[in-house]
This record gives sequence, structure tokens and C-alpha cells, in this order.
Amino acid sequence: MESAAVKGKKTFRGGTHPLEKKTLTSECAISAGPAIKQATILLSQHIGAVCEPLVKKADSVEAGQKIGDSDAFVSAPVHSPINGKVKEVSLQPHPVLGRCMGIVIEADAEKNVPKQLCSDKFDGNFDQTKYTSEQICDAVRQAGIVGMGGAGFPTRVKIEPNPRLPKETMIINGCECEPYITCDYRIMLEWTYQVLAGIKLARKACGVERVFVGIEDNKPKTIEAMRQAAHESKNSENIDVVEVKTKYPQGGERQLIESIIGKNVPTGGIPPMIGLVVLNVATCAAIAEAVVLGKPLTHRTVTVTGEAVCKPGNFYVPIGTHIGELIDFCGGVVEKSAKVVLGGPMMGLAIGDLSTPITKTTGAVTILTGKQIGKAKFERRQTACIRCGRCLQACPEHLNPTRIAHAVKYNKLDLAESYYINACTECGCCSYVCPANIELTGYIKTGKIYLARKQKKMPQ
Amino acid sequence: MLSELNVSPAPHISGPMSTRSVMLDVVIGLSPTMAAAIIFFRVYAVILTAACVISAVLTEYACNLLLKKENPLESLGDFSAVVTGIILAFSIPPKLPVWAAVIGSVFAIAIGKMVFGGLGANIFNPAMAGRAFLMASFGVLMTTWTVPATIDSTMPQIKTTAVYSDIRTQATPLALSKEAVKKGEGAETVNKQMRALFFGNVGGCVGETSALALLIGGIYLLIRRTINIHIPLAVLLSAFVFALFAYIIEPQANINPAAHLLSGGLLIGAFFIATDPVTAPLSIKGMWIFGIGVGTITMLIRIVGEYPEGVMFSILLMNAVTPLIDRLCKLTPAGGKPNV
Repeated sequence: MESAAVKGKKTFRGGTHPLEKKTLTSECAISAGPAIKQATILLSQHIGAVCEPLVKKADSVEAGQKIGDSDAFVSAPVHSPINGKVKEVSLQPHPVLGRCMGIVIEADAEKNVPKQLCSDKFDGNFDQTKYTSEQICDAVRQAGIVGMGGAGFPTRVKIEPNPRLPKETMIINGCECEPYITCDYRIMLEWTYQVLAGIKLARKACGVERVFVGIEDNKPKTIEAMRQAAHESKNSENIDVVEVKTKYPQGGERQLIESIIGKNVPTGGIPPMIGLVVLNVATCAAIAEAVVLGKPLTHRTVTVTGEAVCKPGNFYVPIGTHIGELIDFCGGVVEKSAKVVLGGPMMGLAIGDLSTPITKTTGAVTILTGKQIGKAKFERRQTACIRCGRCLQACPEHLNPTRIAHAVKYNKLDLAESYYINACTECGCCSYVCPANIELTGYIKTGKIYLARKQKKMPQ
Repeated sequence: MLSELNVSPAPHISGPMSTRSVMLDVVIGLSPTMAAAIIFFRVYAVILTAACVISAVLTEYACNLLLKKENPLESLGDFSAVVTGIILAFSIPPKLPVWAAVIGSVFAIAIGKMVFGGLGANIFNPAMAGRAFLMASFGVLMTTWTVPATIDSTMPQIKTTAVYSDIRTQATPLALSKEAVKKGEGAETVNKQMRALFFGNVGGCVGETSALALLIGGIYLLIRRTINIHIPLAVLLSAFVFALFAYIIEPQANINPAAHLLSGGLLIGAFFIATDPVTAPLSIKGMWIFGIGVGTITMLIRIVGEYPEGVMFSILLMNAVTPLIDRLCKLTPAGGKPNV
């Protein structure tokens, strides 16, 4: 890889600049989450085949026990985060799918202690050469690790060497471009060596040499910490921390690749097609824990933030924790009407049921006040499209959001397809910048679902 | 306690801009020109602007009533009718009778905008459609140019009733330029007026004479990102290049390119009319094609055609081909066309 790629501030074309609002939680160290009474482990927390439950009602389970798995290649097992008893295996609220099979575990109050953080077990001397590529891939698969940045693609599938699509470069995504969220920021700052160990292991597993760690320039402390750690620790040659411009959606996989490598992933394609593998920093930390300590992915760092929550912060919570319980743990909300968003305000999903559990991909719970919702959705009245073209210029995928959205509105799916509706990454930039306040992203999402149904890729 | 959960598609926050803020920015951007118009044409500027704005707003309200809109006042809140009214007033001669201006304004909103479906659906810039209607209907009135108040001190002050009869008239710089083109000589008289052209101390439409005021407003819009640079730059550059060629070939017959840029409606057209988002292309490439088209056709009309001024026609012509430009400039996704 040419060294020019490391110099200067890297960016992509398009995007927008929403208010960052990260100071709400950026100084809150990662602390233990609530001692939960009940956990709901969804059987589909990843892209790929849904897991089959391995336990049944009234079975006793231990923390870290595998409770769901699948034989499919693209899938990841799920584990119990707590000691307890299976209360039921039934349909549970799912943030994306609406409903999905899940295992509800009732905690055994006496046997449960909060899980300890393990970042102190890693330092600069970590040596990844003890492990073979197969060992690492196996451990990652067994631990049920999936992309923790949001997409949830099984990590084993990503890092396993594939002779058809050889990988040359690995990109570690530490951008965290969504407003409010700070979990990756805290992970990089506090668990620096654990993340670095994960990077080294993933690099070993993939068989790549070159690693770029992309971090937005609004996080100088993490850039400094990661640079220093990479500089001081052993076996960390060719790991370069790249400062990228703060712009939404810099942390989008395709945008980060454009910023750092200067190449675009083919439309409808995946990064390995151009020899790349992209991993999130939280995923790297999980890899280190799984390979070195043999611990499965049962907990994750979640930022609970937003103007409506009383005590915002970054917490290390069991996967399966109900959102309602987590909100109560943070002191509840300041008013009775709010919007609870899983993820950041740009791409996050607003939930309508507080018993929705935290999944492996939930990086944040953002709670917005009624006033903020009104400001975004109602105060600025929706007008007709004034064809200003701001959405075209903001679209990081260089699409024509207004045309696609209007094609969907009038049910002309062929027309929407001719404007490459499926190339949309749903980042939300078009809706954000639209002066007419049109829900462009909403229309496009709807259109993609209609299209998938029409092509029989999705149930009605 | 959390008892009311709101749900909606992402994103859950939105940017600071609204249709109303965009339109209000244009009004603010036009205010230096309003000030210049009051200095040069005094009471006429005020009367015409007020007449055009009020009739534009009332026409939109009346159309909404006729169309049985649920809330006929709602669409007035976006201020687009106000912008149309101001731009129309700024692009007609100061001496035009009020009744004619009102007719133009009613036409601009009713036929130029509302019959197409209101804001966002019109093909032609409403103000230019209204002006074209006036041009076709009242050709003489639309080409009678008043001497600015700074030269003719007998022009009524603000607050006095306007007397339309005893106003001195003169040929505009562009009319002189046309004469020079036809005769093949005499372009120097216009070239000598550069200073007056820049500050606006010449005959012309209400809001077109002062290049300085228009530039201030245009720069304001650029800084506020209400418009982007592509269309104005394309218009001005292409017009400049065209005029430069003509000037190099026949300097006696053609006024210099800078004088072309400063005179007539080129600046107001480039910054305020051609940038009307509704009637301009969506993509940046399209904006360049559109802008170059406007600049070139304007110069073709001014130098080769019969009329002394061509900004209105060139914008209307390019408005007409905007859907075609949009079709021509289809964007390619960042990752290239999908191979399916």
C-alpha cells in the first residue's frame, strides 16, 4: 500500500455535519451495568441463519453457556450472560425484525455478580504468534462474535482466509460518526491494549500485514492513545492510526474505505472484493477476550445518552438486558413523552416496546425529548420538494434520493431501481439536510422492502 | 416515568434549513438591491415592489381557495410567493404602471406556478414567466427606461404621490450596446460608463442597475449556502468568455465583457433567478450545463439577436430543458453501476 494513504486528513465525497453532542457521555468511564433480573437472548442478532435454541423451558443455564447455535456457515451462536433458569422460549420484541424467537432467562439472584472488565489482562507485550489462524477463527466462531458496529455480520466469516478473495489490508473502524455515541471512544481510550491485541489477532487470522485504524479528528485523545500504544507495543509494525475528517457518515464501512484507501467498494459488493476487511474496535476487543480468555460475547459496552435521560453514561451491560431496565438504571427519563432510539439519532431504530433487549449490535440507547422530536419532525412543516439538490450533494453513495423517494411514493419501483435504490446505505444524510423536511430515507427504506417482497426475497 | 414512546423512521434529528429559511435568505439577499432601488428610483421602487409582493401573495391565497386546499394559508408560510413578487418587481422598468405590474404578478403566480401544482412543480421560474407575459403584452411600457433619481433630481421623493408623465427617459447601456453592434461602432460610450454600471447610476429595471448591491446579496447567499457557486459561476464565466471573443473580434462594435457582466439582468439572473432551485437541475454537472446555457444564450441574444437583453429568455429556455438535463446527468453510484 502506498504510504501516501497515511498522510493528510482523509475524507469522502458527500455527507453532512450533524451536531456531535458527544460531551454528554464522553468523559464517563465505562462502568458496570445493572444487575439484571431477567435477560432476553434473541436468536437472531446477526446477519445470516437464525440460531436454533439449545435449551428448553426450566433448564438451568450458566453464564457463558451456549444456548443457541446454527449449522449454517453465516451465523453466530448466542450465549447466556447470567446464571439462571430458562423462563420461556418464545417470540420476543426485536429492534429490527419486530418479532423474533428469543430465550428468556430469569436470573438466579444469589449466583450473579457483575462481569469484570478484562482490559487489564492485556498490555503491550501481547504476542499473537502463539495462536494459529484456525485457532483464532474457531474461538471467534465459538464466542459468537459479530460486527458490533451495527451490521452484525459474523466476524469469523469476515476474517477467515478465503482463497477466492484474498485480503490485503485491514481497516479498523474507530470513527463513531453518529452523534451522541461514545462507546467506541471509551473502549479505545480505556481498553487500548485489549483493542490492539484484538487487531493483532484478527490480522494474524486474515493473514494480512497492513492495518489502518481510522479515527475521526474530533477524538484527539484516542488518536494519541492508539498511536502511542501501537508505537510502544511489540509486533505492531504496519499498524497505522489514520486521522480522518469528522463528518457523518465517516464510520460507514464504504465511506471509511473511500477515505483511507481512496477506492470504492463496488455497488452491491463487499469489501473483500477489493482486498479489504473492516472491523469495528469493539469487535476487536471482543476478539481478544474470546481468543485469549476463552470468554464468549455475553456483554457489550452501551452508551445510554440523550437529553431526556437523567444520568447518561457508558455501561458494560449483559446482552439481553431490557431497554426499560437499563433506562431505570440510568435514573429514568426527565419527561413522560420521549423517543427511545437504539443506536444514534441518524440511523438508530426508534422502539415502541421497552422490553426490547440489548443485542450484540446495540452500541447506544439515545433518548430524545419530546421537544427535540417536535423540532425534527413537526415544527418545520413538510413542504413539497423544492428540487434544491441538497440530498444529491449530501448522499455519500452519490445517489439521487429525491427521485428514488418520489418514485417509491408513487409506487414506481422500476424507476426507483433505475436510480439504484439498493445502493442506498440508509445513512439518513438526505433526510437530515432536506429543507422541505421530507422523510427521504424512510421512503427509500420502504421501497427496498417493497422491492425485496416483489422479487420474493422477503416474506410478505 | 416514560409512558409515551414515539416512533418514526430514522434520522431522528434534522438539519437547520427549512424551505422557509431558504426563501427568507433570498429575501435578505435581495435587501441591498432594494436599498439601491430606493436610492435610484425612489417611490417607484417601493410602489412596484409592494404591488408585486402583495398581489403575488393574494393570488396564491386565491388559488389555494379555488383548489380547495385544506389550509389555504399554509403554502404562504414558505415565503416563495414573496420571493417571486420581489424578483418580478426588480425585473420590470421603474415607470411601469402599477396595474401592469399587478397583472404580471398575478400571471406569474397563477399561470407560472399554481397551475403546475404549486411550489416545486413549476417548470418555469414564475417571476420570469410573469415578466415574459408583460413583455409580450406591454412591449413599449416594458422598454421605457427612467433616468435614475441621482441624475434626474425632479423624480418624486418617497412619500409624495408618483406622477408618471413628466419623467425623463433614456436608453439603457444595453440599448446603446445594441446600437453599437448594429452600426459597427460606438461601443466606447458604454465602456466609459463602467463606474456608473457598477454602482447602478444608469437606466434599467428596478433591481438590476446596481451591480454592487447584487454582488453583496449574492455573496450573502453563497456564505449562507442558500445557493451554491456552480450556477452563478457557470453563467458569468460563459457570458464573459462569449463577450470576450466578440470584443476581441470587433472592439468598436462590442462593449467590453466586464460591461456586459455589470449591465442588464445578468447579475440578478445569475445569483437570484437562475439559482431558483425548483427550475434548475439537481446535479452539479447539470447545474454547470444549465448555467453555461443561460450565459451563452444571453450573450447570443445581446450580441447577435434582435433584443438588447436576453437574460429572461435564456433562463426560460434553459428552464424548459431542465428535465432533459436531469435525465442526461444521471448520477453513477459511488461504487460504479451494479453488475446485475
